[in-house]
Amino acid sequence: MFERGKKESPDGGREEQVHQESWANTDRKEPAMSSSNVSQGVAAIGRSIRINGDLQGEEDLRIEGEVNGTIRLNNNTVTIGQEGKIKADVYAKSVSVEGTVEGDLYGAEHISVRKSAKVQGNIISPRVSLEDGARFKGSIEMDPEAVKSALGEATQAPRTTPKSANGKGAAQAAPIASAKPASAEAAAAAKT
Amino acid sequence: MIGSLARSAARTELAGPAPFNAPLFRTLIEGVPEDERCVVLDLGKVCPQVITLFGGHRCRVEIAEVAQELELLNRDLDREALQHVAEGALPALLSEPVDLVLCWDTPNYLNREALRMLMAQVAERARPGTLAHALIYYAEPQMPVEPGHYVPDADGSLVNVAACTELRPAPRYTPEDLRLCLPAYTIERAMLLGNGMQEFLFRL
Repeated sequence: MFERGKKESPDGGREEQVHQESWANTDRKEPAMSSSNVSQGVAAIGRSIRINGDLQGEEDLRIEGEVNGTIRLNNNTVTIGQEGKIKADVYAKSVSVEGTVEGDLYGAEHISVRKSAKVQGNIISPRVSLEDGARFKGSIEMDPEAVKSALGEATQAPRTTPKSANGKGAAQAAPIASAKPASAEAAAAAKT
Repeated sequence: MIGSLARSAARTELAGPAPFNAPLFRTLIEGVPEDERCVVLDLGKVCPQVITLFGGHRCRVEIAEVAQELELLNRDLDREALQHVAEGALPALLSEPVDLVLCWDTPNYLNREALRMLMAQVAERARPGTLAHALIYYAEPQMPVEPGHYVPDADGSLVNVAACTELRPAPRYTPEDLRLCLPAYTIERAMLLGNGMQEFLFRL
């Protein structure tokens, strides 16, 4: 379901680097997402699937489950569905968010944040659309030069260590604000 | 519910929220350079129209949505704890400082200590000369229980599209109150608006 028709790499393994257990779960839980939600040519991660690790590939992806790590589909569209929860940086041609994201979003062409979305992180894309009602905390980079520079660096050699919204270095022209690693409540609790 | 707030609420029920003229906001936006980089800190909720407004400029917009942290900020915390909460309510300290701050009506929802601390933290993230815009409930003793959601119109006026109709007492901060709470800032301009709010432009 997650990678229908996905070609295997020469060494017999999958191209994506994901937690092995997640693959096992994926195989067992084929019906986790209704077929109506899986259009042809779009891979999907069903709502019962949780993946810890890095995703890479060459096809569009819809996420209704959970992903922790990094998602790198530089030439494709990533959709985080209403049920989707990701704690990951996303590098894609286009990103559409309907669910929950904690991480930075890099869209080479476009990023759209729907009204049902809850995003904590930074958005770097030449075109950004936001729907009223979306929850967003972070920054939106709209300076074309900074976007170009950030995307150029971000799409170079994949990082070995996933960077997330909680404050690790970003490859960008200007430093992007880090979303908070913990809630302000946690900060207060730590101090009181 | 009295005065202009009542009239505004009545209008809202009949024909949706009414726009109001905000000359200082317009001045602020018109002053954003088109060919120079500008970092905007928005203390309010993300607003598509605000993003569109800055979309034609070389901007980065930081969205803090401080409303999420109001309860914490207004707690009776010691100075260190309050500082941590205020820091947490804002984007992380940047090596690239903020040039422009949109406070909207957030200051009305903070007690004096919280306002002082939050704006001090904003000042730490901003460059000297940064302008901060704020809307203060001034003429009316009541204000909505939750912060507004202000949408800029094409003509530079603002519309509060928040659906909140329940009211609570407004702190009605005077310019002197604000001077005391915001010692790092000077009041550049202030105007009493038709809706009973006072519009402020502060300079760091």
